[in-house]
Amino acid sequence: MDPTTKITISPPSPDSPQADSGTAAPTGATSPIALPDRRKRLRIPETPPTPPPPPHLDDYRSIVGEADLDELRYLARALKGRTMKMVNSTAVGGGVAEMLNQLVPLLNELEIHTRWDVITGGNDFFEVTKAFHNALHGSPYELTRQAQEIFLMYNEQNRQRLEFNEDLVVIHDPQPAALILGHERSRAKWVWRCHIDLSHPDPDVWGFLRPFVERYDAAIFSAPSFTRQLPIPQYLFYPCIDPLSAKNRELEESEIQRVCDGFGIDRTRPIVTQVSRFDRLKDPVGVIQAYKMAKQYVDCQLVLAGGGASDDPEGAAVLREVEAAAGNDPDVIVLNLPPWCAFEINALQRASTVIVQKSLREGFGLTVTEALWKAKPTIASAVGGIPNQIIHKLTGALVHSVEGCAYQIRYLLTHPEFANQLGRNGREHVKENFLMTTNLKRWLLLHHILDGRAV
Amino acid sequence: MTVPTMDSPKGGQARQPFYFNTSAHLLRAERETATTLSDLHRSLERCSDKSVFQHTFRTLQEHHFLRQGFSNDFAHWVLSGCNQPELAEQLAGVDVRGFTSITDLREALLRIVGDYLRRNPQAASSPSREPFYFCATDIVVIPTPFVANNLPEFLDGLRHVTVRSIHHHFIEGRLRLKLQSNDFSRWLEEEVDLKDPARAINNIDIYTGTMEDVRRQMVRLLEAELA
Repeated sequence: MDPTTKITISPPSPDSPQADSGTAAPTGATSPIALPDRRKRLRIPETPPTPPPPPHLDDYRSIVGEADLDELRYLARALKGRTMKMVNSTAVGGGVAEMLNQLVPLLNELEIHTRWDVITGGNDFFEVTKAFHNALHGSPYELTRQAQEIFLMYNEQNRQRLEFNEDLVVIHDPQPAALILGHERSRAKWVWRCHIDLSHPDPDVWGFLRPFVERYDAAIFSAPSFTRQLPIPQYLFYPCIDPLSAKNRELEESEIQRVCDGFGIDRTRPIVTQVSRFDRLKDPVGVIQAYKMAKQYVDCQLVLAGGGASDDPEGAAVLREVEAAAGNDPDVIVLNLPPWCAFEINALQRASTVIVQKSLREGFGLTVTEALWKAKPTIASAVGGIPNQIIHKLTGALVHSVEGCAYQIRYLLTHPEFANQLGRNGREHVKENFLMTTNLKRWLLLHHILDGRAV
Repeated sequence: MTVPTMDSPKGGQARQPFYFNTSAHLLRAERETATTLSDLHRSLERCSDKSVFQHTFRTLQEHHFLRQGFSNDFAHWVLSGCNQPELAEQLAGVDVRGFTSITDLREALLRIVGDYLRRNPQAASSPSREPFYFCATDIVVIPTPFVANNLPEFLDGLRHVTVRSIHHHFIEGRLRLKLQSNDFSRWLEEEVDLKDPARAINNIDIYTGTMEDVRRQMVRLLEAELA
């Protein structure tokens, strides 16, 4: 490995003491990582930091303004005392749990009494649901009778265990979808919130799940392209970011500089960055190719920051491919970071001149949302939910190839006024559509609409 | 310059107060999709009024921060998805403020697409780069704390409400009024007798500026009245 260009900071292995949240090392412990001299100041916590308390509504005032908060309070006033239940399959890890951790306290603050329950199941259940998840994303899968029975058995166990006395029950994703069979003994409206792209599902798995979904009062998807033809209303809730989180909060210039110094990034020269786990579907090698093409015309550094190479064999293989593609170029900086480096990712994004997300397939693409929120000119592939965020030449640049990506890097680096305008527009687009407060408003609106108060 | 009447002097009490409202929208996927221009024409015939509203009136609000290059979702898709710039320009040229009913707007869009396909039949079945997904919007109207009993209070409200409120009154309002006007202009004209500013506000171009630009122009016009 070329010591001047790649940094790997591994999270603890799954069987290490640090990996067990119950026996974690004291938060804030840091390790001096073996790095080249110019990067020795870097300190990355060895364990996840303690999450801050969830924000209150008033904390968003400086970001969205008083009038937006007034709208939320007005919408909530008519719903005061309503009850709501969220059900998903995990309390920690993953985007859904992260979102619910922020959303549920805000709903409760607005006196929509919201309870969050997590279903339980054995390894066999979660093996089946993981396979279902992949199959719904389009991976081939042979649906067996045994898998169906396991799925139904655990859903029935959870249905017996949980109570559904609320006004609105929201079931997240396929794992607990069959809880709808408890619908008959509940006065609630039931809504299925699907966070998965269902545009190309395995027909057998979707055929198995569809009858459950059709029994709900409504479904919610993350983008129009993720929906199916269903006989129930399908609402669209774009995923969101929290502008107050470590990943997205405003940073002091000194904080950004410290992170860049730590990683040996030269802020006097243009920085092109892609943040994503080391996964072939994120096409990190394609990003390096685009950077090399662009660099023939314009000076720049490339930062590839992400994770997944320490606990995933495929991720490790992709990281090796990335390192091979980078070769000995000292301006390619590959950072394999643990998942709790939200602050460092924030600083890297804010230090960037241009941000790239050259995915071959993508869900909604929240790294794009993060980049746009930081008013960064963003180049991204026209896949998944990205075209909902990037309007070509207005809020960013959409590309379809390595060559297109290279051209846009060149263009944006040499036309800073246009690049800045894209960045400003992108931030406004996120402010309007993809922030936590907008997400909160959508949930309040859903209550009103299910009550028949929409026009 | 408008001459104020005795019972409604410039800056005096309005006959009726102006209540600033706003509207909140929730997007809903519809059944129709289009992967060709022929599909677009067929789906435009069949889709709900709420869908036509979403992709024309409402999309302007969603993209209120763009100063140029965005008019409505149909025009955008015809250019980016179908690479048909002539039709895209024609669709982008449709000013929603020329319509007081969705029925008329739908007919205008159908006429443009239909005429183009008659002149360019080869374009009808070319597959688009990505599908167009028809969506509709469900609306909940929300009051704001701002109520104006006179022009200074009206100006204060105008300065402080969200751009969504301005869109609600200035653009969506004409569908409620069924008039070539808007809630602001109507109130200025009928309740405080300010005909000229009412007309000037109604003529502000919404396609060459952001909604904040529109707000600034309105405020400037009314400040001049109070000066």
